[in-house]
Amino acid sequence: MNDRTRLKKAPLGWRISAYAIMLLFTVITVFPLVWLGYSSLKPNAEIVLHPLALPQAPSFDNYVRAWTMGKLGVSLGNSLIYTGVATVATLFLALGAAFGLAKFAFKSVKFFTWAFTIGLMLTVHAVIIPLFLVEVKAGLINTRLGVILPYIAFDLPMSVLIALSFVKGIPDAIIESAEIDGAKYRQIFWSLIVPLSTPVAATMAILSFLRHWNEFMFVFIFTTKSALKSLPVAITQFAGRQNIEYGLQYASLVIGILPMIIFYVLFHAQLVKGFGEGALKE
Amino acid sequence: MVNARSKHRSYLSFVLPAFIIYTAIMVFPLVFSFGLSFTKWKGFGPMEFVGLQNYVKLFSDPVFLIGLRNNVLIVLISVFGQIPLGLLLAYMLHRRMVRGDKIFEMLIFLPITISSVIVAQLWNRVFAPVGILPTLVRQITGNPDYVMTIFESKTFAFVPIMFVLLWQHTSLYMIIFLANLQRIPDSVIEAAQMEGATEGVIFRKIIAPMLAPVAFINSILAISGSFKSFDLIFSMTGGGPAHFTEVMAVYMYNTTFVYQNYGYGSAISIVIILFIVAAILLTKAVTNKLNAS
Repeated sequence: MNDRTRLKKAPLGWRISAYAIMLLFTVITVFPLVWLGYSSLKPNAEIVLHPLALPQAPSFDNYVRAWTMGKLGVSLGNSLIYTGVATVATLFLALGAAFGLAKFAFKSVKFFTWAFTIGLMLTVHAVIIPLFLVEVKAGLINTRLGVILPYIAFDLPMSVLIALSFVKGIPDAIIESAEIDGAKYRQIFWSLIVPLSTPVAATMAILSFLRHWNEFMFVFIFTTKSALKSLPVAITQFAGRQNIEYGLQYASLVIGILPMIIFYVLFHAQLVKGFGEGALKE
Repeated sequence: MVNARSKHRSYLSFVLPAFIIYTAIMVFPLVFSFGLSFTKWKGFGPMEFVGLQNYVKLFSDPVFLIGLRNNVLIVLISVFGQIPLGLLLAYMLHRRMVRGDKIFEMLIFLPITISSVIVAQLWNRVFAPVGILPTLVRQITGNPDYVMTIFESKTFAFVPIMFVLLWQHTSLYMIIFLANLQRIPDSVIEAAQMEGATEGVIFRKIIAPMLAPVAFINSILAISGSFKSFDLIFSMTGGGPAHFTEVMAVYMYNTTFVYQNYGYGSAISIVIILFIVAAILLTKAVTNKLNAS
């Protein structure tokens, strides 16, 4: 870190351009969100007459109406269930698989690792049609399980591989000495591997949460009842209706964006770490 | 000590749950999808085997070709827009060219957490007649009737979408490059400065080449990601008007789930996968070559 001070500063021209570019990017990123935020506090007539002006008498009326009209409380609950269950299940399934593949020297390790690696190439589009047909046959359409299972499956290849590279780094000696003490593998997993994996588990869970929370296609196609929609799907459908007031559209979009801004502020460091270390784009 | 057999059983009990869920939901349907792509099927009734007909038809289907063109445009904006801009922003932050670099980084990276379908709706509001952009244009030009008509242009309808993609993903590459820049020792830049290299030379001749492998891997990831674009465009335009903003995945969705053309839809999804697999195999081949040399 002391090295830094020895570096000469960048020349003035670069610094001025840097300010210009950074400010431009920041304004383009933040202003639409800020505008959406304050506009959502304006009544419809004011939005139409003065689209850019600040609200004259800020009111949460749009929120109250959007929340009840769009049944957004139900969708928020669904999002929490889908994301919560899928994230926790993926985490433990992936850590288990990683433990098996990293610490047991059986021939099939290679095959399983290869199979999970192939999974990185498969996408939702490759399987959505047959999966829909299978779910129809199995009666999983319009059930929460019918959404959660694909969430877990699609997150596994990435999560297994991230966990695998971490678990491999746990010294074999720790596991061997537990074996000698007569511990069962199940105990080794829960009392050694899981606690030792906390750092990677945190990153995995945060990235997994983000992917599940923002997922669109499975919920959109596999559920037709509004009682089963997740928040992003419900809001897209609500805000996308052309016949509702602007204020309601804006308020519903803020309801979709605000939880993610809070999530971002809370986990900014882990997100930077997770994405910076080369986690794939969704 | 446990015997070998029970050890194997424990091993399987750890690996199999994940493996079974993964194969049942991702691998078997893929085989099914491949089979469907050679048929004509309405989702019920008899399935008719048509051989390669769906694939042949695809490449003379004007809608599919618009979709393919737009997917290629997404590839171009990713590789020649998001990635170089991300690199430039990362370098400016890394060299502390602005005060409050942490704040800029935090604000610019923000869109990463917002769902694509909601990003689409947000920008539709910005572009709407009562949105930010037309209002600003009206105030600047003094023309009270201005509204955006770019979406009705066959040639340019996709431009606003490309802009939103730039808005959404540039910061992701910024963060990736920033993480990699931090691994380059400061002494590299220091030595160059002592030899009198200008900032531009340091950036273009020293830093950019050092990050070339990272840029390359990310380009391929961006390319494979580009072929599966769905959420943003589906929510923003649904591929319309008149298919001007169609992409392959949206066309696949409409063909299958709206027009009940399961065979043809499956053929589109197999083509998408082939593009992605080709992009990834290309990365592998080139990285192997780079590692070997």
